[in-house]
Amino acid sequence: MEHADWSTLYPWLVWALTIVIGVGILLASLGKQLHIRRLPAIDAIEEAVGRATEMGRPILFVPGLADVDVPTFQAIAIAGHVARLAARYRTRVLMPVTNTVVLTMAEQVLREAYAEGGAPQAFRAEDVRFLSGDQFAFASGVVGLMNREQVAANFFFGVFAAESLILAETGQTLGAIQIAGTPSTLQIPFFIAACDFTVIGEEYYAVTAYLTREAILLGSVWGQDICRIALAALILGTTVAQHWLPSSVMKFLKG
Amino acid sequence: MFQPVQDGTINWLFIGGTLVVGGGLLALLHGFAPPVRRWVIAILTFLAGLYFALEFFMPRHNVLTPWRDSVADLLQVLAAFTFGLGVLNQFLIHGRNILHRTPNWPFSVAFFSGFLLMLGTGLLQHYAPHFLAAVPPQGAIGVLGFWEAAYRVLFEGALQALSATVFALLAFFIASAAYRAFRIRTLEAGLLMVTATIVMLANVPIGQQWLTGWIPEESPWAWLRLEKLAHWLQTQINAPTMRAILFGLWVGALGMALRIILGLERSFTIGRQ
Repeated sequence: MEHADWSTLYPWLVWALTIVIGVGILLASLGKQLHIRRLPAIDAIEEAVGRATEMGRPILFVPGLADVDVPTFQAIAIAGHVARLAARYRTRVLMPVTNTVVLTMAEQVLREAYAEGGAPQAFRAEDVRFLSGDQFAFASGVVGLMNREQVAANFFFGVFAAESLILAETGQTLGAIQIAGTPSTLQIPFFIAACDFTVIGEEYYAVTAYLTREAILLGSVWGQDICRIALAALILGTTVAQHWLPSSVMKFLKG
Repeated sequence: MFQPVQDGTINWLFIGGTLVVGGGLLALLHGFAPPVRRWVIAILTFLAGLYFALEFFMPRHNVLTPWRDSVADLLQVLAAFTFGLGVLNQFLIHGRNILHRTPNWPFSVAFFSGFLLMLGTGLLQHYAPHFLAAVPPQGAIGVLGFWEAAYRVLFEGALQALSATVFALLAFFIASAAYRAFRIRTLEAGLLMVTATIVMLANVPIGQQWLTGWIPEESPWAWLRLEKLAHWLQTQINAPTMRAILFGLWVGALGMALRIILGLERSFTIGRQ
């Protein structure tokens, strides 16, 4: 494993960004009022749950293929919110997973979500299923589940690869309302083509802040936005100034 | 730091001891009241995150480095504990389907058949290749024993072929998704259609040679050649956009990681407050 090379810009940049995000969290915890713009894909979550309830059919939530990782944590956090909404209407949430560690986490989160939603008895342990660790065996398992259970709403959040379109197109043919979000940039076009709503890029990590409206999480998102503006300014500035900056500074910036 | 144990007995003792200590710690954790448990998990998460961050950012071969691989192996150990839960989960769901004769119970029979067949064949070809089957003579080249051949038929002949079949379906799904995406109903869909057509044509002979191949390379209109247009679109429009998305994602991941380490993201680790 590599170590940080402090003679380059990268570790300094990571710490600078971390401090900015930390300041955002601090400001929010001190009471600074923060606003987050509307995300139509997240607004549609309630609509999707409502539609599944009206149709009397279950909801499918796929947390991607990754192991225990930051995107998977986010996916499971979103699954908790979806399950909390579903619990209010006593609607089932099916959650197939491809990793056994994720299985235990997902089962616990959904169990708690149903309890918080006021319907602990509506949670069925068999609705959180470990299908397979193999990518396409998992995909075919999910497709079979969608068809057998005639799901009314699909949520695809997490890391996906080639199976993304297989899942989303099957949901499309079933007429399910579909919401997706992924940090896998190559899969974003497939989800945009096949899903009703897609969360793109940094929005993926802002979903829990948007849903909970917790001040600390909003502060983190605010800090991230400041980081992005700073990075854009840095790129623009160095592009313009590269002819005037000393070569030693340019070497440092290039790493 | 941790050298592999050479003595078999001591190795088994270590494994047994680890299971006992691990089970004891888990039982202890479950014995705590939920608020205490949440705090214990939050503190452990913070320490684990801090360890890897410090180890990475401190100079090479620092005081934390010798422990790095062992700490990273902890995740593998935890994953091994949960693997049994995954199999148990499958057995419970499919066993219940068969017992209650649910509408799709034959699929569950197929699951148990496949599971036992694959497990049995795999174990036999590795540990007991002589069991109820003749083995190839000594020195025979290219001749497989019965169980090894059976395992290969199941793994390469069935499982891999089935995986390839599911992957191949992707071609048809891409066609149907592309059809929907290319219907020109908005300005964005129109732009997508035009750019996609240019990139697709630039990658086939009909576009490169027939349609614009007649424009000389030295001509001031050479930029109209499809391969040059496609290259421009991919390097000047597509690549920067993808990089911008990646920038956003990595900053978002950094924020999320910070929230996890500091125990602020409570949706999955320590319950909502």
